[in-house]
Amino acid sequence: MTDIIRIENLSKSFGEIKAVDGINFKVREGELFAFLGINGAGKSTTISIICGQLKKDAGKVTVNGKDIETNPDEIKRELGVVFQNSVLDMPLTVTDNLKSRAALYGIHGKEFNERLEELASLLDFEDLLNRTVGKLSGGQKRRIDIARALIHSPKILILDEPTTGLDPQTRKKLWSVIENLRREQKMTVFLTTHYMEEAAEADYVVILDSGKIAAEGTPLELKNKYTGDFISLYNVKEEDLKPIGLPYESIRDGFKISVPDTGAATELILKQPKLFTDYEIVKGKMDDVFLSVTGKKLSGGEDKQ
Amino acid sequence: MILKSLIKRNTKLFFKDKGMFFTALITPLILLVLFFTFLGNVYRDTFVSAIPEGLSVPDGLLDGIVGGQLLSSLLSVSCVTVAFCSNLLMVTDKVTGARKDLTVSPVKASTLALSYYISTAVVTLIICLVAMIVGFGYLSVTGWHLSLTDVVLTALDTFVLALFGTALSSLVCSFLSTQGQISAVGSIVSAGYGFISGAYMPISQFSDGIQKVITCLPGTYGTGLMRNHLMATPVAKLKDYGVPDEVCEIIKDLTDCNIYFFGTKVDESAMYVILGVTVVLLITALIFVTKRKTS
Repeated sequence: MTDIIRIENLSKSFGEIKAVDGINFKVREGELFAFLGINGAGKSTTISIICGQLKKDAGKVTVNGKDIETNPDEIKRELGVVFQNSVLDMPLTVTDNLKSRAALYGIHGKEFNERLEELASLLDFEDLLNRTVGKLSGGQKRRIDIARALIHSPKILILDEPTTGLDPQTRKKLWSVIENLRREQKMTVFLTTHYMEEAAEADYVVILDSGKIAAEGTPLELKNKYTGDFISLYNVKEEDLKPIGLPYESIRDGFKISVPDTGAATELILKQPKLFTDYEIVKGKMDDVFLSVTGKKLSGGEDKQ
Repeated sequence: MILKSLIKRNTKLFFKDKGMFFTALITPLILLVLFFTFLGNVYRDTFVSAIPEGLSVPDGLLDGIVGGQLLSSLLSVSCVTVAFCSNLLMVTDKVTGARKDLTVSPVKASTLALSYYISTAVVTLIICLVAMIVGFGYLSVTGWHLSLTDVVLTALDTFVLALFGTALSSLVCSFLSTQGQISAVGSIVSAGYGFISGAYMPISQFSDGIQKVITCLPGTYGTGLMRNHLMATPVAKLKDYGVPDEVCEIIKDLTDCNIYFFGTKVDESAMYVILGVTVVLLITALIFVTKRKTS
């Protein structure tokens, strides 16, 4: 796979504040890339630079082999962006919204009608075409936002907290559509999210903290590096656990023991076979990774120290 | 094609948003009511007292002169205040994030700036032309003394002033980023523009210093053009009833049909040039500011 986005030594300051401080990362073509960080970590600044909305102070940004400095318009044609808040024109109909957006990319007439039909079928909004956007539900608006970002068939879809505030069913539906797009059209998805279970599905994750990259890797690599494993152990008494000498906490019907890694878990089970009659081993979650890396908890749009 | 599509979007959004539409419409409506119910009588009494004793001027002609003064004031103010209300979309797009979304697409900053400018100019022109037609309707009832040339030139003045008002408001709005700011600016402009352009009060009633400042403002010449094309013909007809040329000229001076720039009378073609050059300069500044803000 080739690198579709390359960020090299990127820096951007606002006065005395270093919003982005010499970061480097690559996004491979067709992958789901998660870009994590609390509010103010530098995510939006980086995205704004990639989208050509902000000028960088230093470094190099290449999108699909083109430099953002020299080819901003060509790069803009490769990108589709779904912002955190809906940017649709509420008084207009769904078709009017998509038509005015398509015109910005030179898509008109028959070409537009065909693309509209295709997206309406893909995102399941055929029955909403003549409805005023302001009267749609949050989930419906989100689907139209995504259609708006996809109208010109971009190579890269940037999703800035796309599912914040949506109900679980709508989130699930949106993710199934996005997965479908990645599979069928080999579209690269650049995601920022506050939902760690969404980040856990990514091919590669970069965690940003105070403008610098605090950690990066696949979710598995990050879990292995920054969190341990957990053994949920059932049908045992607390006094049997104490001699093990490992941290544990009480859970419903049993206890959860923290171990450094899966090897340590295996070793423990082999040492105490009588104790481990009913158990399960799970890896740490992305929430634990984020907490371990940044010392902060990321939850539903609020940053907790 | 991109420009056309953006203009269509902006214009559609304006007329679909009832709040924006009525806010823009309410300025000329309030002015119409205010002038025709209250200020009209004040102006009429002033004219009657200025006519030399012993001369009799028909009521219809007096009403035509007063109506012309009222309509010229109304149109010269509305072309600017309506433009400020119509330009609400430019700021709303920043508030909702639509502007950010537009700049993510390969749209040039100059195209974006022009799209806001042209759509606002179209909306302003439509509303002001409607106000002009209503005003002509009023004049035709009270006392019609205008020629076809006056009507055509008044429409041209409305067009030029709408372009001027839109350019001014677009440049001002390009620095605003909240709806509170544009409401405040809109209120200040609505209240103050009529005074500084000589529309509410004739320039001659201000002190010398202020008169000089007012004649340096391009909007004043818009009011001057309107005054000429809505008042000059009925004022000239006063001569048919024995009013001397000198008195007619004094009336034109006092009502700002004649504008003097540091003692030199500014003719109509110069007024058009001043407004035209100002429009070009303001649009150039708008494109420059938009480019700077989007880069």
